[in-house]
Amino acid sequence: MAEISLVEAVNLALARAMTDDASVVVLGEDVGVNGGVFRATVGLQKRFGPDRVIDTPLAETLISGLCVGMAAQGLRPVCEIQFMGFVYPCIDQLVNHASRLRTRTRGRLTCPMVLRSPMGAGIHAPEHHSESTEAMLAHIPGLRVVVPSSPARAYGLLLAAIRDPDPVVFLEPTRLYRAIKEDVIDDGEALALDTAFTLRDGTDVTLVSWGAMIRETLVAAERLSENNISAEVIDLATLKPYDEETLLASVAKTGRLVVIHEAARTGGFGAEIAASVAERGLMSLLAPVERVTGFDTVLPLPQLELAYMPSVERITKAALRACAYT
Amino acid sequence: MNKFLMPDLGEGLEEAEIVAWHVNVGDHIVADQPLVSVETDKAVVEVPSPRSGRIARLNGAKGDMVKVGAPLVEFATEEGEDTGTVVGTLARPEEGRKSRSLAAHEHPAEMRASPAVRTLAKKLNVDIDLLTGTGPNGSLTRADVERAARGLANLGAGEPLRGMRRSMAQRMAQAHREVVPAGVVDEADIGDWGPEQDISVRLIRAISRACKAEPSLNAHYLAERGVRHVIERIDVAIAVDTEDGLIVPVLRNVGERDAPDLRAGLDRLRIDAANRIVPPEELKGATITLSNFGMFGGRFAHLVIVPPQVSIVGAGRAAGRVVAHRGSPAVRRTLPLTVIFDHRVVTGGEGARFLAALKADLERPT
Repeated sequence: MAEISLVEAVNLALARAMTDDASVVVLGEDVGVNGGVFRATVGLQKRFGPDRVIDTPLAETLISGLCVGMAAQGLRPVCEIQFMGFVYPCIDQLVNHASRLRTRTRGRLTCPMVLRSPMGAGIHAPEHHSESTEAMLAHIPGLRVVVPSSPARAYGLLLAAIRDPDPVVFLEPTRLYRAIKEDVIDDGEALALDTAFTLRDGTDVTLVSWGAMIRETLVAAERLSENNISAEVIDLATLKPYDEETLLASVAKTGRLVVIHEAARTGGFGAEIAASVAERGLMSLLAPVERVTGFDTVLPLPQLELAYMPSVERITKAALRACAYT
Repeated sequence: MNKFLMPDLGEGLEEAEIVAWHVNVGDHIVADQPLVSVETDKAVVEVPSPRSGRIARLNGAKGDMVKVGAPLVEFATEEGEDTGTVVGTLARPEEGRKSRSLAAHEHPAEMRASPAVRTLAKKLNVDIDLLTGTGPNGSLTRADVERAARGLANLGAGEPLRGMRRSMAQRMAQAHREVVPAGVVDEADIGDWGPEQDISVRLIRAISRACKAEPSLNAHYLAERGVRHVIERIDVAIAVDTEDGLIVPVLRNVGERDAPDLRAGLDRLRIDAANRIVPPEELKGATITLSNFGMFGGRFAHLVIVPPQVSIVGAGRAAGRVVAHRGSPAVRRTLPLTVIFDHRVVTGGEGARFLAALKADLERPT
């Protein structure tokens, strides 16, 4: 057991999956010799050889299309897209092929691929390296969208994603890659997909988030406890399909909901959560649902990047507004 | 002194190791000149100087880890503008267009009561329209609803008004809306009454004589038409208290009836009222009302005139009281009297003269 960062946990999970299952292959731009833009695949090519860790041309359509073909033919490809802004060429493959292979072939073929990509702002990168467009991907039927928020969850969820028979988009919060270290046991144990993690129990307000914003959300929960407000923090982890039961049970208990995401507000995944609660949890609500999100603007340049992202203060204020309703 | 902090090298890196300094304390350097090489998880990178100036201090030695945001280099204070990291000139960005306040997004709509509060109110059978909220913007809280529910519980289950009580509530409320009541009171000295005088019969006789003296109190006023009917025949409504509420049957044409007839009529009315068998027509058409509340207690009263009548007479408890009698204090049996009249159609003088006539008749020995 060792304290490792989230990016090291990704590397550990990839190595474990490749060791356990010869059909697992890794491909992407600079994943082999260079070890990946964030070093997520460092050492893998040396260990598993160039046939299983493949450096591709700078062509995301090719990378994702290759994955669909490999997956249909019995491999378990895990591709890396260097930044979220480069995922868009893959949309054609994800929407038209990966997500539909099972239904199109009446179940004869499945598409056990994983598309890994960094996600999110806060690293002073250009805007197309900093986006959070997870809601776009969550909208696609047949696609799983998973966002880990800690090294241990990254390890367990990535193993689960690789072993899943259907396509998974695995979005790694760039801001957390090296920010936190945690003991991770390399025991090959996967975590359950489609299951939310309740990171903190509370009775007054439910704070739900995923990915990098979990960090600020937990700090906000701590601030709230100084105001005698007991906040429950839920890490959704799998966005599609998300664990509605855990969320609704929490809202039934607290009566108040604050959804926090870094992505722009309109059509963000927070809207989906708010709608679900309106449909199935309305009678529990004491206060209007609060959304603390990024703004409906292109992600600003580094000088204003932090102003764009939901802050501990904004989350705390939203929760206090909700808690004013008793 | 001007500090240059370890810049964010991007991509989530939080610290870097100093590989080599390229400048020394005291050096004059120009903007963009390499200051230091640092090694991150990914690569060795050169950090350029953000400005020109003289180096006053270098923080960290080869091999040290420097956190992002920690002081890296300090420049001696000098004249001249800090150009920041920009080399050359950068055109000023155009003024952004004004947009709606983004903060407005985070102020949810006001609401009267949240769904959870409404659900609770329904469960506790509390009508939220009757409550005042103590939550944000006057919204209702669960505590508001629970307080109201406790209040209801303390009152016990309410009963809807039915029958006579309902009709009393409606008629009295109507009277209160419509009539302008005024009143006068006095006490009749009945100390000279002979034996076996019947108070109720004497009161009815006195009313009929007072009505003859001052007919404007024996009248109907139809307010909506602005019409007054002064009525010759005197039909006295007798207020009878029953367990089910107030009932007011009418004793007809009292001016033309003798004492035994009036007594017989009164007895029949009371029995019928107690048995609830007064025919509806016997409850209508009174021209004046008598409330003999004194049989239960009390002296004077604020009585309520029921339109279209314009007056009501009240008799308090007859009892021995100290009064001036023939120039000396004496204990005399007196009967307290109240006359309430509708001041829209009865003058104060008419009311007072009516009371005087009432009193005069009652003070006769027989």
